Amino acid sequence: MRTSTFFISICLVLCFNLLNAQDIGINKEQPKDTVVYKTGYGLRLGVDLSKASLSFFDKSYNGLEIVGDYRISSRWYLAAEIGYEEEITFEDFTTSSAKGNYIRVGANYNTYNNWLDMNNEIYVGGRYGVALFDHTLESYNPNVTTGDVNVPIYFPSTPVNTPVTETGLTAQWLEFVFGIKVETFKNLFIGFSGSFKIATAIEDQLGFKTLYAPGFNDILNSSTGFGYNYTLTYLIPFVNK
Amino acid sequence: MKFLKQLFVIAIITLTISACETDDFCEISSPTPNLILRFYDKDVNDDLKIAQRLSIIANGKTDSLYTNRSVDSIAIPLNTNTTETIYTFKRNEADGNLAGNETATLTIRYTPEEEYLSRSCGFRFIFNNITFEKTGWIDSLSVTTLETINSQENAHVNIFH
Repeated sequence: MRTSTFFISICLVLCFNLLNAQDIGINKEQPKDTVVYKTGYGLRLGVDLSKASLSFFDKSYNGLEIVGDYRISSRWYLAAEIGYEEEITFEDFTTSSAKGNYIRVGANYNTYNNWLDMNNEIYVGGRYGVALFDHTLESYNPNVTTGDVNVPIYFPSTPVNTPVTETGLTAQWLEFVFGIKVETFKNLFIGFSGSFKIATAIEDQLGFKTLYAPGFNDILNSSTGFGYNYTLTYLIPFVNK
Repeated sequence: MKFLKQLFVIAIITLTISACETDDFCEISSPTPNLILRFYDKDVNDDLKIAQRLSIIANGKTDSLYTNRSVDSIAIPLNTNTTETIYTFKRNEADGNLAGNETATLTIRYTPEEEYLSRSCGFRFIFNNITFEKTGWIDSLSVTTLETINSQENAHVNIFH
């Protein structure tokens, strides 16, 4: 998972450099053009491909995310994602799971200067996210390790395999998003986005901690997290401007 | 505009680096605290006194925790599955011959309590309402009750012998 994210991120860095180089070249050489090229304004809807494929390949994960945005000016888009996730977190001493629904709302700003009537995006954005979920402590093994591999455990602890669930937990967070969208066929876009999330309020189950929140991903010790998206979206154009 | 582009590049780099972040390991050694004992001289209470050729075994166990060690302090684990751990301490002050063996027992009663630490360390035990009882070559204990044992930074009980 992480390795694939890493390689894709590397590719994106390279792509971006390429785009940037072209961008500068064009701006310098082209004289001012009086022809106005029109691009579509409308509602763009689609799915997150990564969650769909992960659901298929990873037995401990199940999720679906619908993504959408609505263009309000030449550079600004209102954006939202809504989804469902079910995930099992395996750690050294605990196994826990989370399942529930989430919604993220916010906006994107397109920083890319398109050529002619092209409608691609390199964007930055912000989101507010909220999740409603159940968290379950599936099993755990109390940590009685000695901190020294040469010292064996004298009294091994008894694993606890009775799941304990708490329902109706909520999580809220803010995220910083950046990504690209490329129009491949008329009105059909593929995109990638990455996000950095900062939790503002996370409810924990009694005596335990929320390790994964739907829509947020793994909650790191510093109450932060990372997310990514591979999207396929279709633009329903209302008007060309 | 330029600022946003720079921000974008920084964000991509951040994600690239974070994708390589290693999984964290539990960095606390011995999360469930051991009972720390120190051996003092029963006549001069301020002086540490080494327990010679000490061997320690818990009741119900067939393997010793320590054998034949001369130390002035030890860390012994408490059984988290029960509310009582009885240790037998065998020392030999003389020359290591069988005839010189002396035994003592230390009975520890407590209420184990689970506590969640972190993602990498999971749950640990702490011990509450601890009482100590001794027999044999142990002359006296510095305390016979303790409210809680939740760390092993300091010695919990001094043993005078």
